[in-house]
Amino acid sequence: MGEPVRKSLQAAQEQVLQWVTFHLDNETYGVNVMAVKEVLRHTQIAPVPGAPDYVLGIINIRGTVISVINTRRRFGLQDQEPTDNTRIVIIEVGKHVVGIMVDSVAEVVYLRQSEIETSPSVGKDDGARFIQGVCNKNDELLILVEFEKLLSQDELEELSQS
Amino acid sequence: MSFSDDEEILEDFLIEAGEILELLSEQLVQLERCPDDAQLLNAIFRGFHTVKGGAGFLQLTALVECCHITENLFDILRTGRRSVTPELMDVVLQVLDAVYVMFAQVKDREELDAAHPDLLAAVGALVAGEDHTLQIKSRHAEEAPGSASHGAAQSSGDDVTDEEFEQMLAALDSSSAGVQALSESESAELSGAGSNEITDDEFEALLDTLHGSGKGLSHGMLHDSPPQNSPAQDSSPQKVEQLEAVVVSEANEEISDNEFEALLDALHGTGKHQGVPAAKTAKKPALALVKGSAAPLNKDSGKDSGRGPGKDSNKDSNKDTGKDAAAETTVRVDTRRLDEIMNMVGELVLVRNRLVRIGESSADEVLSKALANLDLVTADLQTAVMKTRMQPIRKVFGRFPRVVRDLARSLGKEVSLELIGEDTDLDKNLVEALADPLVHLVRNAVDHGIEIPAVRERNGKVRQGTILLAAEQEGDHILLTISDDGNGMDPNVLRNKAVEKGVMDREAADRLSDEECFNLIFAPGFSTKEQISDVSGRGVGMDVVKTKIAQLNGSIAIHSRLGQGSRIEIKVPLTLAIMPTLMVMVGQQAFALPLVSVNEIFHLDLKRTNVVDGQQVVTVRGKVLPLFHLKRWLIRGECGVPAQTSAHVVIVSVGTQRIGFVVDDLVGQEEVVIKPLGRMLHGTPGMAGATITGDGRIAIILDVPGLLKCYAG
Repeated sequence: MGEPVRKSLQAAQEQVLQWVTFHLDNETYGVNVMAVKEVLRHTQIAPVPGAPDYVLGIINIRGTVISVINTRRRFGLQDQEPTDNTRIVIIEVGKHVVGIMVDSVAEVVYLRQSEIETSPSVGKDDGARFIQGVCNKNDELLILVEFEKLLSQDELEELSQS
Repeated sequence: MSFSDDEEILEDFLIEAGEILELLSEQLVQLERCPDDAQLLNAIFRGFHTVKGGAGFLQLTALVECCHITENLFDILRTGRRSVTPELMDVVLQVLDAVYVMFAQVKDREELDAAHPDLLAAVGALVAGEDHTLQIKSRHAEEAPGSASHGAAQSSGDDVTDEEFEQMLAALDSSSAGVQALSESESAELSGAGSNEITDDEFEALLDTLHGSGKGLSHGMLHDSPPQNSPAQDSSPQKVEQLEAVVVSEANEEISDNEFEALLDALHGTGKHQGVPAAKTAKKPALALVKGSAAPLNKDSGKDSGRGPGKDSNKDSNKDTGKDAAAETTVRVDTRRLDEIMNMVGELVLVRNRLVRIGESSADEVLSKALANLDLVTADLQTAVMKTRMQPIRKVFGRFPRVVRDLARSLGKEVSLELIGEDTDLDKNLVEALADPLVHLVRNAVDHGIEIPAVRERNGKVRQGTILLAAEQEGDHILLTISDDGNGMDPNVLRNKAVEKGVMDREAADRLSDEECFNLIFAPGFSTKEQISDVSGRGVGMDVVKTKIAQLNGSIAIHSRLGQGSRIEIKVPLTLAIMPTLMVMVGQQAFALPLVSVNEIFHLDLKRTNVVDGQQVVTVRGKVLPLFHLKRWLIRGECGVPAQTSAHVVIVSVGTQRIGFVVDDLVGQEEVVIKPLGRMLHGTPGMAGATITGDGRIAIILDVPGLLKCYAG
């Protein structure tokens, strides 16, 4: 194998990924920037009667109806009244677009692939299934969330219910 | 089964074959009516042939087999050696059903089940029952396309290009056309093809070379295609020049259509194979030559040269030229794209509504003028876009001749079906959604409506019953009528039945008007038939029909006169995308009720209600209606609120039932664009969708039957 080839391989492994970080309770979470469409301030959410309890309701974004997920409830946290910092992050998961409500959105961080560690086995905690990995940066633990799993899980549950 | 490699080809096949099959069922029934229609026979033959070709390429052996044997049969039919009989048609229609089944399996990417051997044997027997010489001939005729498509199927493992496939189809077709010409000329021997015809053998050789040359050099085939030429093993480039010479000389001698087509195909074929320099150079001069020489040729071949390569020439030249020209003006668009456009136009309508609302509050004349203009343009745009989604109802009607025919035959009745207004356009989704209810109603008309011939004669009617299926546009909705001149319905029988089934007591039944009696048949489990047959009698159908029509925001009405027949009228909106609604407020939230289900609105003093059997009811003009508080259903934490003293009540009708909804406030009537709730909330009971109101807020559109089912149980 030639030297340049090895180098480019290494570079591919060291691919830098960008993550949007947000807070829920006291933890910091990250979601891949490629999945994030936009971040909105908290607006009025129209509740849908009869909807599953982790769905807060629907909002109107320029004519498109988008469901908003109660991320706190999804992650097994207590509900909290929305504050000034509350944001709705619109993410694209597969073909669906959903909004997730978070306590606040912080920043975009750059992480190398090598910095991401697989998550420690947390047992059968409700949130654990959606965690893609963790990253220790500046003495702060960043939990990387994979929403694709979160949603497919929802769909599975819905299917099993019906 | 793995289709991954040629998924695209498969998609194309599904679309093309789907259209052909749809047409075939119609054509077959039509054929029974006029069995001597040569054009029709040819069309059916071609239909099966094309499906077979495509299936062969995709290695759908079972489908190929089925189509192949039917094609054989139709080849015999069109040469006039056998005439169309009802028995024969039964078999053919069964084959078509088998093909449908397989086609559905292909669609679902499933393994194909082979057609029932008995069925194939039945067709085989029909084919074999043919006079001997002709049988040989037709067998021979079929062998050429058969082996060719087989070859194509085998070679699909290799790298067969689309173009090559098309060429094969084209070559195939002209070969069978040649044979057809043969049999038409009643020539006894195949060898009598004469110098103007290409024999099958020659064609097979041509096909072989064509395929072989796909990878090698193509001019061998080029050279071979004109008849009476020495077999070309030599592939030196000079031969191409020879060919040109041949073309010129042939052209001057007026070559036949088939030769010309073959030549054309061959030329096109070589032109497409890259990396064969000789062929590349050959294409331009040779083509130019052929085109130049087209003028002295007869008319048909002149047309041929004007048409596109390969694919088009597998159609009958004189019949389809006009159709081809028309086809060029249409574009096939993915319906999803249309939905997107529709959605965006819907957005525009909402923005317009908002602007109009703002405009109303301002006194600016310029603004209001501009707004009026915008209003007009958006309305036009909306109609125009809506039109693109329109499809003639023929798509649904087309299947009825078959349905009626089969059913009438199995029931021993004589029924003729008349279709009116097949060209009436309506929304594509509606066309699809209407299919099932209509099939049910038509089956009902044949089964329950039309009497058996003997009874009809006794009642002084003609033996043959008539079912009329009509569609017409009436303002902003479509009116569909299914009428028969059969026995009609007896309101008293229905009354008795209702009492018997325990739907209502005798007194209530006697109070019903005749119209109301007819509506009884929509009640679930209601059937007047004593015997359950495979056709009808379970009492499920009409309930389903009613529900389905209600889902489409339509209405259904029955008129019937005993001894004279029944008439069922269905009204559906032109489109499903935009829906008139009544906006109401419940708590702080806006909800939209489909206007079709809203009967009336009134203000009610809640003290004037009664409680019957635990259910709050209200009396409206002598009728007792159950009353429900939407707030208790739809707003969380509002279940136990004490009732207000007065409220707005909206009376809605669900099926034959009417109920009252108590709401907090009435906003007004609004045309809304239905937006799906998204995958997560899809299927939430009672919620049909959401929409954005004129002031930008979200309103949830209620699905009244679903709501009742979920909450009022």
